[in-house]
Amino acid sequence: MPDWLIKILLTVYTKIPPALRPTLKELFVKSTLRVESLAKRRQIIQGKRVEFLDFEIAHLLPYELLGPGPDEVLVEAECSLISPGTERAVLCGLPGARRGFPYIPGYSTAGKVIKKGKNVKGIEIGDRVAGRIKHASHETALASTLFKVPPGVSAEEASFIELGIIVLQGIRKAAIKPGERVAVVGQGLIGQLANRLARLLTPASLVAVAPSRNRERLAVLSGGVDQYLSLKENQDCVHAVKADVVIEAVGTPQANVTAMQCAREGGRVVLLGSSRGLTRDWDVWNVAQERNLTIIGAHISDMPERDASPQRWTYAQEGKLFLELVETKRLNVADLITWRAKPEECNAVYEVLAEGGRDHVGITFNWGA
Amino acid sequence: MEPLRIGIVGAGAIAQRNAKEAAASGTAKIAGVFDLNHKVARDMARALSAPFFPSYESLLASPEVEAVLLSVPHYLHKSMTIEAASHGKHVLVEKPMANTLDEAREMIACCEKNGVQLTVNYSFRYLPKIQKARQLIQDGAVGDITGIQIIAHQFKDRGYWSGARSNSPDDWRASKEKCGGGFLIMNVCHVIDYVYFITGLKGTRVYSEYATLGSPAEVEDIISVSARLSNGGIASISASSIMRGTDQAEERIWGTKGTIILNGEGLSCYSTRPIDGKRPGKVFHYTKFPNVSWTAEWVKKFVASVRQGTRPDISSLEGWDNLAFISAAYQSMEKGMPLEVAPFPASPLLKNETMVK
Repeated sequence: MPDWLIKILLTVYTKIPPALRPTLKELFVKSTLRVESLAKRRQIIQGKRVEFLDFEIAHLLPYELLGPGPDEVLVEAECSLISPGTERAVLCGLPGARRGFPYIPGYSTAGKVIKKGKNVKGIEIGDRVAGRIKHASHETALASTLFKVPPGVSAEEASFIELGIIVLQGIRKAAIKPGERVAVVGQGLIGQLANRLARLLTPASLVAVAPSRNRERLAVLSGGVDQYLSLKENQDCVHAVKADVVIEAVGTPQANVTAMQCAREGGRVVLLGSSRGLTRDWDVWNVAQERNLTIIGAHISDMPERDASPQRWTYAQEGKLFLELVETKRLNVADLITWRAKPEECNAVYEVLAEGGRDHVGITFNWGA
Repeated sequence: MEPLRIGIVGAGAIAQRNAKEAAASGTAKIAGVFDLNHKVARDMARALSAPFFPSYESLLASPEVEAVLLSVPHYLHKSMTIEAASHGKHVLVEKPMANTLDEAREMIACCEKNGVQLTVNYSFRYLPKIQKARQLIQDGAVGDITGIQIIAHQFKDRGYWSGARSNSPDDWRASKEKCGGGFLIMNVCHVIDYVYFITGLKGTRVYSEYATLGSPAEVEDIISVSARLSNGGIASISASSIMRGTDQAEERIWGTKGTIILNGEGLSCYSTRPIDGKRPGKVFHYTKFPNVSWTAEWVKKFVASVRQGTRPDISSLEGWDNLAFISAAYQSMEKGMPLEVAPFPASPLLKNETMVK
């Protein structure tokens, strides 16, 4: 839409009484979608999706979308996984994650292709796929961004795709060598996935460090950590960890500092959690510089689209590897799901998440239920 | 269910209304009328096709009377309740239950001792708007309640204080001794009751400032109360009967998940949860409610409790709680310090909640 048209529409919009605006906005969106549908000859699909309506308010609402474009497929969701850190940050308006509302959350979903665009090759109607798709019953996506789900992998497992990729790229940057001592700070979903992927690299020992013992049960399951430390019980336990590699899987300034304290002199600290917030509470000299630490930023946004290197695989490579690990049972993720929610329960789900998530780790919406 | 035969005591405007609504409830039969003003009482008895009694004693002596409905000045509540209970009559008493907690305790003990039921007319809680608010809160619309604000302002003209609108003019409303207090105990007591009812909370500690600034009365015509609630929340009351030109009556109840506002236009509810099939994050207005006679509902429920031998829907203990809050509010200013609201004392006379028929 050209800027001059947007300006005119905005001027008109501000003259409309506030009470009438939502209805008129809805009418406008519906009308333009219909015009677009006619112009592009793409059918209008009815779906339902989770929306954040305001701070700490989620609701399942009906919505309309256009059928797939030439390079897209229409996916009917089976299962979507909540990315707790990011979604909670947006829901609560935390630093670095302030967005306008309504906001449509979700980016890790598995489902079935029910329509495809004319240019799509390699994916057929009926195929099971997973990828960066919102919490919605139906969504279109570029076929090239999706992964075909292997036959032995369930929709629940495949819904971990995006979170799996996030952790894999971080673990890769950590370059853990067999026999190294590894610590994972934070035992939410990212932390627990990091435990399991680090374990595959045969460290000498694997230690989880968390504020409390709430998530210990899952952390010590087969394929998890050797030792679980609770900061609530002993704040100073961090100094005894002396890990060669520390994976920081929280994203708060406090957790960043904890991770550095857990590293041995000359150790490596991988910042995997999406960092939010500022702090003055960091004695750079004593915590990091004097101890000769290597700090490695590992956010998913840094992944190359092509030209992979040993420490930086592409998104497509990491996704494929994740599904292979699950398929061959070298990585178990289903037991990390602690709440299998119906989409209709989303209000209660996000209420719990906003309050800190209680003891939950993996929360899925099962769209086929 | 056999109708309860009720003797009407008092023939003022409220008494007339109470009697009509009781008769209309379909669960009560007016078995007699008494008032010191015999002419008014006779007229009222005739209109209700009920016998007139020339004295309270004669009404209580009648085997036809099973219960009394007392719509008399506050200072008479205790003595008339005790007299009725001693004659084995159940008691429906107007609000407030009494002027002091000592009086209330005696009333409760006497009714318990004589095996009769006692209820206080806090019948506004039967208003559909109030019931709806309670339902919304029980459904979790506001989450954990954090704050309550009661706003109640109106203007009472000079004549009010000398009973100009009454058919038996009397200045008891202006007397601290006879009325127990002013606007708080006379009117706001209703609001306190239904806010307790809606939220399931009680005040536990209060501090008030009150004064008489514009009325020919001993009792307060303006009061401000701050209170701590039983769940740790905070409440405040701003009330007066000297605000000219506007009637203000609004209750705001808010919590971790939403807000409910009650006023003359109805009920507004905002919730972060999808309550009542509504979209969360929006204010919804409930403005249409069925016409219900709250007094008739009160009588109906009381009759059921008498016949079934169960605790009245609005029990004397709730009357106590209301009076305990109001008494503490008054005393707090007199003592210049916040006061704890007295819980009902453990009493051998109140062994259980089920009373004998």
